[in-house]
Amino acid sequence: MADAFGGAESGTQLLARLEGRSSLKNLEPCLFAEEGSPVHGDVIEFHGPEGTGKTEMLYHLIARCIIPKAEGGLEVEVMFVDTDYHFDMLRLVTILENRLAQGTEEMIKQCLGRLFLVSCSSSTQLLLTLYSLENLFCAHPSLCVLLLDSLSAFYWIDRSNGGESLTLQEMNLKKCANFLEKLVTQHHLILFATTQTLMQKSANSAESFLPLKLPHETDTDYRPYLCKSWQQMVTHRMFFSKQCNSANSKAFTVVSCHRKRNQIVKRSFSVAECGVQF
Amino acid sequence: MGEPGQGTETPAGWESRDGKRKKETPAGWENRDGEREPERGARTGMGKGNRSGMGESSRAGKRSGPGPSAGAGSRKERAGCGEPGRSLLFSIPVAMVVLRAGLCPGLSEDMIQLLSANGIRTVVDFVSSDLEDVAQKCSLSYKALVAVRRVLLAQFSAFPANGADLYEELKSSTAILPTGSPSLDQLLDSGLYTGEVTELMGAPGTGKTQLCLGIAASVSLGLKQHVLFLDSTGGFTASRLYQMLQAQTEDEEEQLEALQRVRVERVFNIYEVLRALQELRDRLSQQVVSSMGPLKVVVLDSVSAVIYPLLGGRQSEGLALMMQLSRELKTLAREFSLAVVVTNQVTRDSSTGPLKPALGRSWSFVPSTRVLLESKEATREKCSTQRAASLAKSPRQPTGIQVELDIGNGDVLDPSLVTPTQGL
Repeated sequence: MADAFGGAESGTQLLARLEGRSSLKNLEPCLFAEEGSPVHGDVIEFHGPEGTGKTEMLYHLIARCIIPKAEGGLEVEVMFVDTDYHFDMLRLVTILENRLAQGTEEMIKQCLGRLFLVSCSSSTQLLLTLYSLENLFCAHPSLCVLLLDSLSAFYWIDRSNGGESLTLQEMNLKKCANFLEKLVTQHHLILFATTQTLMQKSANSAESFLPLKLPHETDTDYRPYLCKSWQQMVTHRMFFSKQCNSANSKAFTVVSCHRKRNQIVKRSFSVAECGVQF
Repeated sequence: MGEPGQGTETPAGWESRDGKRKKETPAGWENRDGEREPERGARTGMGKGNRSGMGESSRAGKRSGPGPSAGAGSRKERAGCGEPGRSLLFSIPVAMVVLRAGLCPGLSEDMIQLLSANGIRTVVDFVSSDLEDVAQKCSLSYKALVAVRRVLLAQFSAFPANGADLYEELKSSTAILPTGSPSLDQLLDSGLYTGEVTELMGAPGTGKTQLCLGIAASVSLGLKQHVLFLDSTGGFTASRLYQMLQAQTEDEEEQLEALQRVRVERVFNIYEVLRALQELRDRLSQQVVSSMGPLKVVVLDSVSAVIYPLLGGRQSEGLALMMQLSRELKTLAREFSLAVVVTNQVTRDSSTGPLKPALGRSWSFVPSTRVLLESKEATREKCSTQRAASLAKSPRQPTGIQVELDIGNGDVLDPSLVTPTQGL
């Protein structure tokens, strides 16, 4: 269906879409195991329990994106899809104030002008909203980062609504995943999505016969439960955790792995008034 | 909504909720309106007068000097526009929307029958199918289909807002409400933030309900704002609230007005909670707000009491209901700038493990801020009123910081009057 709209775009839009994307490899090199990442088309999953810094890391990325080049940012536009009703604008503003040389109200608003926000309250609304965002991506060539917090928000509700049928349970999420994949490839976006650790890892269960089992995944508390379409489109998976001993200032850890190349890197970071610091 | 074909798609939760609402709403409404009518003028007047006071405590105030914004006009605006200006749509469970004539312009009865013959029955079916294909199969005009799709998307999708605009809006709508306890305020970075869910957790007798009452007293008396207290354990004690108010002012008139601004509903299962919240949403979105004054705080004491009975057995249904409740709390908080306070139990993995909040992982993502309350072991001979509160989760403060609270006599006028419940 999206092709119908794709076909209607103008030549300039097409050019903007395919050529105009500025490189994002400086977004946050610390997060990635290999150099030159992320590239357009990457799908990065942040996974972890509550309070391990996933959303905080998203604020960090937003700040990196929307701060102007003159101040060391990337000056690109960002779309934030909030399904958890969790996004804290004042927190983002605090981070911006701390990072900008002149954190004037004017400057902050200029930065925030590069941020788009949309909240969704059901998986159906999420799906329809994603469909409707396509035009926005066409119209804004510098809009190239899509953040989704979180993808697992509707898991239980969908599961219960679907009754006994797994297909029905996963229908909306699967459609969302497929469409996200299409958006990401067609519009050269980078997608960051958080997923929550809703499930405890169980020793015996179904995941053991998933073929793609990375060695380190055995020691993190990870059990994939979202639909296959999503599992397969992820290019980088990052596991967030937090150490309990508060003596250590860098209490947060992220283990980042490239799914195809099987590269792994582990980094610690701290969260302060000015946001994430590696 | 009442389409016959919809039955299969209706989640159980919605059904019972809608059913209940239909039955019980009319009586409830009359009652409430009748009660409030005579005081309406006086209340709204007060709300307006006090608004600038709230502005001072808001983040906007800290930042750049808010200017005495607000007043009735801006309140109305705010209540109306909610998140991205679509508050009405949030209450429609989109999953159930079946294509029907009149749903949107250009969608005729014939068209619907043709579509339905090809397996396209709901908005989602329609929007996610390949319209070129559909046009051929149903021999409908492609152009018309595209137009319908566009309208449906506009109608049912959420609308993205620009960050700068949202920030402007938030500066005027966000308030930080003092909890009545300076040390708790300090822990929460100056108070309860509207738009968020804050959780107080602790074992029985650690002062969760007392803190909730303290919040109700502080907000209704100090800020002249209304409070909705959803009591699911029967723990709400009007006399204790009265004591707290007496400790803060000697003016009986003021005490009485403050008491009237706290509305208590006893809700003993999750359906009653959902119904109460739905009623609240209806009232707020129809801007009947004025009849009950500006509502700022919703307290649910306790959330674990209504969720525990759902868990176990066929878990996913219970969890779905729990998430439905969380969604309702969070959207209300966001759309109508309310501070939502819930209380939760604590549990341990093993007998020696650290205390952790009850209700498990899925719930853990719901509150933005979690505060753990603990009794201080030391003085056992006297019924201690000292509690330790530590921050377990926060979007803006380092976690782990701890303060001491006195939930007892400190805020009560005459200690000798206090009944044995004081230690609670």
